[in-house]
Amino acid sequence: MMKKISLLLIFVILIGCQKKEEPIVITPDLFHESVDRVTEIMIHDIFSPPVASRIFAYPNIAAFEIIAAHNNEYKSLAGQLNDLTPIPSPEPSGKVNPKLAALIAHMDISRRLIFSEEKINIFRDSLYTDWSSKNPTEFNASKDYGLLVADHIAAWMDKDNYKQTRTMPKFTVNTDDPARWQPTPPSYMAGIEPHWNKIRPYVMDSAAQFKPVAPPAYSVEKSSDFYKELQEVYDISMKITEEGDTSEEIAIAQFWDCNPYVSVTRGHLMFATKKITPGAHWIGITKIACKKTDSDFDKTIYAYTKTSIAMADAFISCWDEKYRSNLIRPETLINQFIDDSWKPVLQTPPFPEYPSGHSVVSGAASTALTSIFGDDFAFEDDTEIRFGLPVRKFSSFSEAADEAAISRMYGGIHFRAAVEVGVKQGRDLGKYVVENLNMKQKSELATLEQ
Amino acid sequence: MAMILLLLVGCGSKEGELFTNPSPEKTGITFSNTLTESNDLNILDYLYFYNGGGVAIGDINGDGLPDIYLSGNQVKNKLYLNKGNLTFEDITEKAGVAGNSTWNTGAVMGDVNGDGLLDIYVCAVVGINGFNGYNELFINNGDSTFTESAAQYGLDFETFSSNAAFLDYDLDGDLDLYLLNHAVHTQESFGRSDLRLQRDFQTGDRLLRNDGNTFVDVSEEAGIYGGVNGYGLGVAISDFNQDGWPDIYVGNDFHEDDYYYLNNGDGTFKESLKEYFGQTTRFSMGNDVGDINHDGWPDIISLDMLPEDETVLKSSEGDDDYQIQKLRVGQFGYHYQFTRNMLHINQPGGKFKETALLSGIAATDWSWSSLFADYDQDGEQDIFISNGIPKRPNDLDFINFASNDQIKTKIDNTQLVDQQALDMMPSGNIPNYVFKGTSNLQFIDKSKNWIKRDTLISGATAMGDLDNDGDLDIVTNNINHPATLYINKTDNKANYLKIKLKFPGKNPYGIGSKILSYHKGILQYKEMYTVRGFQASSEPLVHFGYGKDTKIDSIRIIWPNRTTQLLKNVKVNQTLVIAPKEEVQATYPIFVQNKNEIFKKVEGNLGLEFEHKEDSYFDFNRQKLIPYQFSDRGPAVAIGDLTNDGNEDIFFGGSKFMASKLYVQHADGFKEKAFPTIKKDSIKEDVVAVIEDFNKDGKKDLFIGSGGADFFNEMPPLLDSYYTQKDTTFVQEQLPATFQNASVLARADYDLDGDMDLFVGNQMVTNDYGKTPYSYVLQNKNGKFEILENESLNHIGMVTDAVWDDYNGDGTLDLIVVGEWMQPTFFKNKGGTLIKDDMDLDQLNGLWQSIIPFDIDKDGDKDYLLGNWGLNSKFKASQKSALKMYYADFDNNGSTETIVTIKKNGEDYPIEGLKGLSEQLISLRKKFTAYKDFAGKPIKGILSEEGLKKAKVFEVHELSSGYLENNNGNFTFVPFNVELQMAPIMTFLAYDFDGDGAEEVLAAGNYFGVKPYHGRLGSFAGAMIKSKNNVILGDDLGLDFSQRSIRHLNIITFKNKPYLIATFNNEKVQVYQLINNIGK
Repeated sequence: MMKKISLLLIFVILIGCQKKEEPIVITPDLFHESVDRVTEIMIHDIFSPPVASRIFAYPNIAAFEIIAAHNNEYKSLAGQLNDLTPIPSPEPSGKVNPKLAALIAHMDISRRLIFSEEKINIFRDSLYTDWSSKNPTEFNASKDYGLLVADHIAAWMDKDNYKQTRTMPKFTVNTDDPARWQPTPPSYMAGIEPHWNKIRPYVMDSAAQFKPVAPPAYSVEKSSDFYKELQEVYDISMKITEEGDTSEEIAIAQFWDCNPYVSVTRGHLMFATKKITPGAHWIGITKIACKKTDSDFDKTIYAYTKTSIAMADAFISCWDEKYRSNLIRPETLINQFIDDSWKPVLQTPPFPEYPSGHSVVSGAASTALTSIFGDDFAFEDDTEIRFGLPVRKFSSFSEAADEAAISRMYGGIHFRAAVEVGVKQGRDLGKYVVENLNMKQKSELATLEQ
Repeated sequence: MAMILLLLVGCGSKEGELFTNPSPEKTGITFSNTLTESNDLNILDYLYFYNGGGVAIGDINGDGLPDIYLSGNQVKNKLYLNKGNLTFEDITEKAGVAGNSTWNTGAVMGDVNGDGLLDIYVCAVVGINGFNGYNELFINNGDSTFTESAAQYGLDFETFSSNAAFLDYDLDGDLDLYLLNHAVHTQESFGRSDLRLQRDFQTGDRLLRNDGNTFVDVSEEAGIYGGVNGYGLGVAISDFNQDGWPDIYVGNDFHEDDYYYLNNGDGTFKESLKEYFGQTTRFSMGNDVGDINHDGWPDIISLDMLPEDETVLKSSEGDDDYQIQKLRVGQFGYHYQFTRNMLHINQPGGKFKETALLSGIAATDWSWSSLFADYDQDGEQDIFISNGIPKRPNDLDFINFASNDQIKTKIDNTQLVDQQALDMMPSGNIPNYVFKGTSNLQFIDKSKNWIKRDTLISGATAMGDLDNDGDLDIVTNNINHPATLYINKTDNKANYLKIKLKFPGKNPYGIGSKILSYHKGILQYKEMYTVRGFQASSEPLVHFGYGKDTKIDSIRIIWPNRTTQLLKNVKVNQTLVIAPKEEVQATYPIFVQNKNEIFKKVEGNLGLEFEHKEDSYFDFNRQKLIPYQFSDRGPAVAIGDLTNDGNEDIFFGGSKFMASKLYVQHADGFKEKAFPTIKKDSIKEDVVAVIEDFNKDGKKDLFIGSGGADFFNEMPPLLDSYYTQKDTTFVQEQLPATFQNASVLARADYDLDGDMDLFVGNQMVTNDYGKTPYSYVLQNKNGKFEILENESLNHIGMVTDAVWDDYNGDGTLDLIVVGEWMQPTFFKNKGGTLIKDDMDLDQLNGLWQSIIPFDIDKDGDKDYLLGNWGLNSKFKASQKSALKMYYADFDNNGSTETIVTIKKNGEDYPIEGLKGLSEQLISLRKKFTAYKDFAGKPIKGILSEEGLKKAKVFEVHELSSGYLENNNGNFTFVPFNVELQMAPIMTFLAYDFDGDGAEEVLAAGNYFGVKPYHGRLGSFAGAMIKSKNNVILGDDLGLDFSQRSIRHLNIITFKNKPYLIATFNNEKVQVYQLINNIGK
């Protein structure tokens, strides 16, 4: 009897649900939202900048591969990115909505990469409920396909050596050589991601492909190039902190801080102010550019994917040099030789100095974005508003990259060489990515006119 | 039913077995240190917002009943007059002692002007957060009224004071004052330790000399630090070195070291912390001094904040990372500090021995005040510890996940606080602790019995006999709750003696006097200091307990002016009021050290200048979860005549990439000599070595066992080395290739074929700790070695030491092997075959480090002394509650890891927290996204079922060092006394050290290759074991072994005299002459 009633109930419910299926519309904004969610969770879970760049890249690639398989304008990255093979084809039923499948693949790969899965699940489940009520047939077909592609990308992703690098030896501080990096205040964290150069590159042939020139030789002789750069960091810092709130340089430094974990200690009270990473800042700029140009869903994914690949390679390239030169930070030396109570405007991040990560990444990201949206692309950057920072205006991506680079000197965390060499290293790498990655069926090179 | 009812009633009562807490309604003490948090003032604005007020006990009106003064942070101070029968009257208004400062802290009583009346000094924090006022001095008018006179006396400081202590440091007869101030220096960077040299007006401590009713700041000339980084929270006065001059111990919070000021007797002090302490508390809070081991030398407890509860422990920020510690000690010049309570046992002639872990008092959570006293009057010092904090700012979830933009803004711009963020901090209201002392340095936790479990935030604590019934009562000042009275119910269940002093001159309470009580040959030693614990002073009296004993043989009093008097046959259960009688001078030192110096360091080391330097390899960076290091088990030492001149030479191994050194004996001493073949092999880390004529050509050969735990798989530097002497050079010979980390080489002609064979014991497999290494006997075949296959011996375990000895008396040498996570294992030698002998020692798995045969019970047969990890560490093990190590490739990444657990309340908990475990097992970061999800979970709630199932589980049941007592060939384990359990015993050596014609065994140890969570296992000064009950500790023998990690002890003969060679890891070798054994 019971059984009958429940059967009846199900029947009734099914009948109740029976209504006309409508097509599911996936807007670019929904993709932006998915990316924003990931950025949000990354802030919460505290991923370091290199790891964050990887978390941006793979979900975008998964989404792009689905789009490229369905939109003749774009070309698959299989065979172009190291070890990536073509994604499986969808069932020939024709019920798959590629945009929907791309979004689902994006969410699914993201979910695998972050820690706090429940945060993405809530977002996903509410979308799933909506979609399945609108059009279960289209939804289920797209979902199955999206997850199938996600599995394919995940299998490729899992072989990038990330898992192995997690359990490789922690960085051993060299206390014997005065030129080598030392942990810095306030939390004196050990060097993070010393093995990031062992991550499989995306486009580059090896982590060392864009190896920069060596930094100026360490010396505490006042006449040496190295010491002059040290003195310069100190002098700039003294000058701008004297100017205080009116200092444009301090405004620039803070705007581009992008430190995901700034430790604050007051007695036993400890906490961190958490922000987005440099990569997330440029992802934010990508969103601004897409929205300003009213880019459609496919172009939006294309832009995110290209930018995030360039940045992910930039971090591998940059970290390769960081732990090669293993150079000491200005803060350690200034405290030792110039002013023992000096503090940089920004908190020194926990890894070696050379080259500047933000500089390399900004160089690479801006070059990728320029190739998509053009050189004279003016924009208002409001990415940091949520952290209480103002909007800054730029006339081009390149200008923004230059400012991001020099901000590290104003912030007192990098020497000039790390900034200047770094941004060049990033641009060279970006150019290489743009030239070697054919993401469109027609050659893109025309758009890169610099 | 009735019984249940009864039980329920029992649970709800306000009674502990030893203390009862009368209600404020009954006592009239309604003072509550109520804190009002505001947007302008809370833990974010002022780091010590929760440190609480002060409490002082003393009889202010001379009616014989001790009165109570309580200071409040934001509320007015209160003075309660004791009216007898535990009722009190609030006379604050009349007395005029309510105080005027915005934020009061410590409150102490002392007779500042020497008129015989107790005055009250109240500290204040002034000059930050809008706090006004100054330290107030209420001079007692003798009619229960007081006159605030701080300015007149020069004590009206407007600084960040936390407490003040009275002492007569210059012995001029009046009371001087040590003013304890606290820093508010931002914690953004360590800063170098020499910051303490620059005086800072508001934060620097001060020494104030009483120049006849005005106090003069003599800090600078007296050598008292007053820097910007001194977070002074604890101060204790005592004559620590028993030279008659009061010394000072200051506990500093955060990274500043504690200060140990030894009084030079000329108005100056010498800060000597590093010289006398191996390690200290990191977040030092209150402290106290008492002689807990009846030797007349004051011991120190210093409090910290290590939680006992697993859930709190695993969700709180822990100790520094190893590399940060190295930076702080090496680059910034601070001392070793660890987050737990420390009990420093005074060791005359040596460094303090730190025993809090062994003593069972290391973890009492967020602790403020500790008071030593004999609460149950059994003759042993007990400890009361107050603790608690309204909000735990070091909660890891709070640190990592609080919405914090607002907090940061708040701190920078004093805008509104996000109350939600503050609310995320969990509360830390935990029950106070009380421990019962014993005669063997161990304390028994009586918190659940002696006192009622509370949930109070208790800070300042003072003692006195409030009801004049002879036992000691306690008062705690609580946050947001009326002060608690702990009334002692010992009453007439045990005997006591109370002593009050009447000293002439300006120090009528006899502050600084020493009182020695003798009964049944037991010494109890006290000094009269009232400022004890934390922000408090206790009643000026001395109290002894005697249990059921009714006769006190004598009481000796040594007055501050060094005169002394002796009272004989004193009756118990009375209060003596004693004044100086006769002008007999005490002779200092009053305690003649029981010195038995039989070793004397040889100046110039006979030319043996070898200093071992450990290489920079750090095991935990690669094998993140191993329980301890393996890369630091060198250097090797071997002694023998390598130059064929009849004199002994000595070989010291080098660590990785550092050359070994060989010293040759000459008439005027030892001189280094280079043997190129040996020297060029410097890539290897030499852990053990043997010099022996293996090939029987009349010349000694050299065998070296290599290790270092860095090289792995089949890397050639893991191969052992064998050099034979040819002419005057050495030639490297072939050995069977086994790639292992060696730990012991034990030689014997076990097969009786006339040449020396060798047991090679190996400790671990690099990068795969937990896998059984391969150990074996090398059979000597005409100077060439072959491995003797023996399944049970080859895979015996993680070997550390072995000895050939005929334990079954059949005339052949048998083999006994010890190691970590295994039992001592016996192999009987049956005609050259080694057969494992079941000795029924299954429950004797230990972290064994060393073994030596010795007839310790003098019954004519051979017992075996065993060096183990000791009891003074975070490892805990017993047969019922084994220390366990889970070994498997838990994360399926192709390499294994180990997880060590200790048992608490029947469950196995990993020692590592989420941060540590997830550095290796990253999937845990996904499984536990918040620390609170992880905290409090035993290992079965952390690892998957599959992971647990595939794990090999190692166990340790015994951590005591001890000996296997030989009972007709059966062996029973007998643990050594507690004095030999201070640290791992790494090595033994048998010899007639004292020249009495009989052999003794010298034991030495200490080990530092553990993570900062474990601290430093350095409190063992070595010991000479003459027999079961005759053990002499190293400090008394003239040995300098404390806080050094020894590897080998050897005797070398130089000019026919024996010398002791002590070889340490990462230290210079020590050479001792044997004073009483001058050789042949």
